[in-house]
Amino acid sequence: MIDPLHHVRQRQVAWSRRTFLGQSAQAIGALALGSLLNPRLLASAGPSTDGKWRGVLRSPHFLPRAKRIIQLSMAGGPSHLETFDPKPRLNALHGQPFPESFTKGQQLAQLQHERDGLRARGSPFAFTRCGLSGQMICDLLPHTQTIADDICIVRSMHTEQINHDPAHAFMNAGSITKGRPSFGSWTLYGLGAEADNLPGYIVLMSNGPGNDQPISARQWSAGFLPSQFQGVQFQSKGTPVHYLGNPDGICQSMQRQLIDELAVLNGLSAEKTLDSEVQTRIAQYELAFKMQSSVPELADLSKEPQSTLDLYGIKNPGDGSFASNCLLARRLVERGVRFVQLYHRGWDHHSNIDANLPAACKLVDQASAALVKDLKRRGLLDDTLVIWGGEFGRTPMGQGSGRDHHINAFSIWMAGGGIRPGITWGSTDELGYRYLDDGQQMHVHDLHATLLAAFGIDHERLTYRYQGRDFRLTDVHGKIARGILR
Amino acid sequence: MVASRFLPFLLIGPSILLGASTADALRMEYNRDVRPILSNACFKCHGPDAAGNPSGLRLDVPEFARAPHRSKTGRITTALVPGKPDASEVWRRLIAKDETTVMPPPNALHQLSDRDRTVIRRWIEQGAHYQPHWAYAAPIKQAIPDSRGGSSPSHPIDFFIRAELKAKDIEAAPPADRRSLIRRLSLDLTGLPPTPVETATFLADQRPAAYPDLVDRYLASPHYGERMAVPWLDLVRFADSTGLHGDQLYNNFPYRDYVIAAFNRNKPFDQFTIEQIAGDLVPNASTDQHVASGFNRLNMVTREGGAQVGEYLAKYASDRVRTVSTVWLGSTLACAECHDHKYDPFTIRDFYAFAAYFADVKQWGVYRHFVYTPEPELTVHTDDYPFPPEIEISSDFLKNRDARLRATFARSLATGGRALLADPDGAAAVQTWARLVAPWIHTPSSDPWIPIPVDQATSTNGVITIPRPDGSVLFENPPSYLDDKYKKPPTRHQLSFATPEIPLATVRIEFLPDIAHGGFVTRDRRDLFDIDIALAVQRAGEAKPQALALAEALAECETENYFNGRRVMSLRDGWRSSVRLAREPQAAVFQLPIPVTLAPGDRLVATITSKPVNFHQRAALGEIGRIRVSVSPLSGSLPGEPADSVRFPAGALTPADAGFEQTAVAYFRANAAFSDSERVQVFRDILDCREGRTSTMVTVAQEPRVTRVLPRGNWQNESGDVVDPSPPKFLGGIPTAESQGRGTRLDLARWIVSPTNPLTARTFVNRLWKQFFGTGLSSAVEDLGLQGEYPSHPELLDWLAVEFMESGWNVKSLVRLIVTSQTYQQSARERPELRPLDPQNRLLARQNARRLDAEFIRDHALFTSGLLRPELGGPSAFPYQPEGYYAQLNFPIREYVADHDDRQYRRGLYTHRQRTFLHPMLANFDAPSREECTPARNVSNTPQQALTLLNDPSFVEAARALAEQLQAYPQTERLNQAFERVLTRPPSDAERASLEKFHAAQLAAFRERPDDARKFTAIGLLPVKAEHDAVELAAWTAVTRALFNLNETITRY
Repeated sequence: MIDPLHHVRQRQVAWSRRTFLGQSAQAIGALALGSLLNPRLLASAGPSTDGKWRGVLRSPHFLPRAKRIIQLSMAGGPSHLETFDPKPRLNALHGQPFPESFTKGQQLAQLQHERDGLRARGSPFAFTRCGLSGQMICDLLPHTQTIADDICIVRSMHTEQINHDPAHAFMNAGSITKGRPSFGSWTLYGLGAEADNLPGYIVLMSNGPGNDQPISARQWSAGFLPSQFQGVQFQSKGTPVHYLGNPDGICQSMQRQLIDELAVLNGLSAEKTLDSEVQTRIAQYELAFKMQSSVPELADLSKEPQSTLDLYGIKNPGDGSFASNCLLARRLVERGVRFVQLYHRGWDHHSNIDANLPAACKLVDQASAALVKDLKRRGLLDDTLVIWGGEFGRTPMGQGSGRDHHINAFSIWMAGGGIRPGITWGSTDELGYRYLDDGQQMHVHDLHATLLAAFGIDHERLTYRYQGRDFRLTDVHGKIARGILR
Repeated sequence: MVASRFLPFLLIGPSILLGASTADALRMEYNRDVRPILSNACFKCHGPDAAGNPSGLRLDVPEFARAPHRSKTGRITTALVPGKPDASEVWRRLIAKDETTVMPPPNALHQLSDRDRTVIRRWIEQGAHYQPHWAYAAPIKQAIPDSRGGSSPSHPIDFFIRAELKAKDIEAAPPADRRSLIRRLSLDLTGLPPTPVETATFLADQRPAAYPDLVDRYLASPHYGERMAVPWLDLVRFADSTGLHGDQLYNNFPYRDYVIAAFNRNKPFDQFTIEQIAGDLVPNASTDQHVASGFNRLNMVTREGGAQVGEYLAKYASDRVRTVSTVWLGSTLACAECHDHKYDPFTIRDFYAFAAYFADVKQWGVYRHFVYTPEPELTVHTDDYPFPPEIEISSDFLKNRDARLRATFARSLATGGRALLADPDGAAAVQTWARLVAPWIHTPSSDPWIPIPVDQATSTNGVITIPRPDGSVLFENPPSYLDDKYKKPPTRHQLSFATPEIPLATVRIEFLPDIAHGGFVTRDRRDLFDIDIALAVQRAGEAKPQALALAEALAECETENYFNGRRVMSLRDGWRSSVRLAREPQAAVFQLPIPVTLAPGDRLVATITSKPVNFHQRAALGEIGRIRVSVSPLSGSLPGEPADSVRFPAGALTPADAGFEQTAVAYFRANAAFSDSERVQVFRDILDCREGRTSTMVTVAQEPRVTRVLPRGNWQNESGDVVDPSPPKFLGGIPTAESQGRGTRLDLARWIVSPTNPLTARTFVNRLWKQFFGTGLSSAVEDLGLQGEYPSHPELLDWLAVEFMESGWNVKSLVRLIVTSQTYQQSARERPELRPLDPQNRLLARQNARRLDAEFIRDHALFTSGLLRPELGGPSAFPYQPEGYYAQLNFPIREYVADHDDRQYRRGLYTHRQRTFLHPMLANFDAPSREECTPARNVSNTPQQALTLLNDPSFVEAARALAEQLQAYPQTERLNQAFERVLTRPPSDAERASLEKFHAAQLAAFRERPDDARKFTAIGLLPVKAEHDAVELAAWTAVTRALFNLNETITRY
């Protein structure tokens, strides 16, 4: 029997070599390396001359399991009661007055004017016990049912924000104060980028069939962190990245001539001014040119085999659908993108949930499951964390023919990247109204702490000094759910 | 942080410091040396926040720290025994080996270095003297020795800076060369580079006064105000949209104009402060002061359904505290929203007492009426409504634009009319037309409208139609209507009319009040109706009516139609009638692109459909009550313009007649003018100018809301004390109240700028310093508190702060003082030999290079290429933006429409600011989204910046515009010209050689593919001039594009 910690040490070595030492450390300067977290110095140090953005962490705090993350953000707030949290008692109570003991003194959004008449709304959809793990998943998600043994379902999620915009902000940044960095930006700030021809944090968007809730670009903002850590939204129309395409009439070889000429001229200017920023500028033009060359290839899904397209259920490759975006996400993480966030708008079911929810499920079910399967068969799932879920849940009380926003309970699932597969974590009360304080409750701050831990980061030690205070993603909260980490 | 500060011992180095013999000679100063260490590592648990201090020991207050303290275990110790480190518990804890005893605890984020510990030991040895926090003590203006004939400089700034340099034995850098100097000054004071003529003039002017004169000239430039406005707008988070949820638009550009004008007129900063915070409360407030009070309305607001009124009012209140305390006090009072401040002496009560000043600002928590969050005053508001309270003001920019557009429109009509006269067929057509229509329009009243009585009328939903003798039609509801009105589909009225056999250019529909409807224009006595109107012609014998296209449709009277917060002058997308005129006649006029003539038996058909009633608005929305339709052969007139019939001379029927040209113009206007899309666009642009009127959000005071302390910042917790307005207690408590009783915003503003406030002048001066040197004298411009940075030159900061106040808060004079110093005028060339000693150049032994802010990078390209529109102020502009960028916006759904005229070339500070989707060019160059007060921008260097300068059409077009101008010069002179404009200098030989080779290569490539050359040079609105050879132009555009991409171009050295 070998040293049980042997593989741990090996991974740590591999990790630090690949992520940090391999990236020409001289540019960041001994000063910044010597001080673990000195953001002002880091910000002024800028990127390395090879164009990659380096993170502030020299070595991980814990054993890192995940290197990349794909977050499937189900914007609008999917009902946990019709997806991952079956409630027979609620079904039995359908149409009856909702017990006041649950709701008294609680914050409600649009339901507050119906306070006197809150009624239980059961789910008309069946659940099935799936896989060897026997996890309960609604029949509206038949493909997700097939990956039951690969995912960890968390039923005890809860948040503090009852409206979409702030709830997204809370999910992303752990705060609703504007100017706070998003989770993706924190990750990039801590770990740096692996790709040298793509942004480290990329956001993709797709829509449901309805009149969807807006999503603000602040959701992927770097806030007070240096701007290079902000998410870059890939556009579904035009070029994927703003200003990526050459001007009309300019081909890549002419653009190349220009980049070379700029290197010469910038170099001449640097001789005169001795301005150290010039070398960085030259490197950024190189990186920009590399992006111009690599992104179109990356975004071109037409070369993917038909079997892969079929796995995801893609009809028109690159059509901006959720399915296309899932495949694109896989291609992005394959190329070393650290953080990919897919927003899918279309889960805000205030009315006609019986028809709209199945439609929403149908749009995402196959591709979500395909993504996990595809990553798995490529050996990427081990260190790629996939997370699926919305910004909050929905009320077990009916709102006409739908359900209102709900902050006390919702469900998400996670797969890969050091998450224990095939388990259900946490639970809610018998009516699905509130998470239970059973040690497995998962506040948004706890989720952030846990995800950062999967990346090998202690959430209390990844900080940034701003306005005289050391800020962190989890503010002053967050408990790591060790039980869901492998 | 310590490493960035200039303490004598740091320059010596830690090893020497730790040697006892040297350290003995060093005097530890609490503010400079000790407080930063204690604040960072100790005050969190041993500071002002009682709740976070379980031991009860405080190290931030000397009386506590020096007194015996009983620990939890009952042990009595003294934290600090002056002169005796070994007897001091602090020292024992710092060096303890035991994990349970050592401080800071092993798991604390901030640990102390050996150096930190040595500093503290020395400090205790030297008596453990505390000092009041530097920024909370009154600034002192040290006397500057008169140096005439002496060796130290007479300029106060140089006096302080050079003294420090001299102490470190460092020579100041030589002055910058004169080209760099004029470029630096021009960019710093106007945000624009100098023109080649300005540069040449300055180079030739050898007088000692040449530079000060240049300073005065730039300070007097109207562009100075624009440059100064940019950082201010970051601070006050000025933007065009709400920033939350639907991110609908605000009406507030007059506030931006106010800021620009205030800097240009050198409004004293105390006035500037008072007008923004409390302009509405100033006795006999002027319009400008009301506009300035729009400052209080710049916070983000929501109209999202389900949003909680109380929660959002609490958010708005805390946003105001954050902003005002950061902008004026350089304080992080924001930290006290949930608990007492961890480092500074702000209490949670201070936070809410500060918020209470703004409790009178009229604003809604949720900007829309929902049944579950009722806002009775907003019942008619939709997602498209603006955000009251607003006032209507007159905008100089819009008035000028209106006049220019009207002149263009009139010129174009005159040209059209005269062209007709020049052509015999045209003249004949005018004559025929005039003969035909004259009998119809020359009525004694000169009313151009010919009423047409209704022929046939049908309505859905059982509505009854009753013709009236005046040709109008009255609508009456069926008896049961009101009861179940909202369950019915929208009512549709179809009306048909016979018309005279003349070419009809316009149709007017009047909506009339009627006694049968209680004098309302609606038949259900409600305030307004919301309808769609479609016009068609039913030709005799044809099965279906043919829809009539509309060139434009507008209301004759004031109506308030909005899209996304903005007034929509056109009725083409329906008409929401005026609430204010609910009992007055209202009319709409429909302009046809091509006149239509009806034959006998033909009918004009008007279909009027009421829009579905929103559930939330059912109390206000009504149905039309009575209408009358008229037609005219003349075109619709512009607001403020006399009707055409008045100007149309009767009987002017031969070309020889004096009035014939006028008739020809009227003919052209009615028959041809509106079929031309460009002319229609001008017409619409004129309407949009609204004769110069515009709305802007202002502060209106109302009965103040009750303000309570919210424990943990929880808006639902009503257990906290009710607080009255008050400044933070430790900064002086209750100010002298103008009014007896409750403190007002005016009291707050006056307290902020009172000479006893130690923070305001320091905060402003420190930020201004950053503007001219890249770093503040205290680098943390957002926080002058205990966790901020001890200034590199505290005496200088104090001197400038006092000087600023004594000058009457004179901003221009402060700017002049800074830029006339030798320190400012030094060369920015880096000095590698000083890097180890002073890596961030805080001693200012040279100037700092600084990348231009996003807006000025845009301005630079537009200005040097000659595209920039130099006009000041006005509504935000819409430069080219990548397609689909607003796809994720909703309520309402939006599409970005780039400006189609010269507004495309407006300065960057006028670019439309959508908070949730900031223009990518601005975002890529670190402009903040202005959701939150931003005292300092990031300065990054990213591939996105490269892509923007390379490929954004604004920059490609500017490169082409510059290349076009170069074509006027001989080949050999072109590079010189380009360099002089873009870089304020001629090219070096090496640069010339390299660029000539590059030019040749690009020229060869374009020769191969002339089509590509044409495509490349056709980018942008600017028309391609036919006289230029596309290949030649493309190759030179490649060169100018290279110049626009240079690091030097976007850097101020």
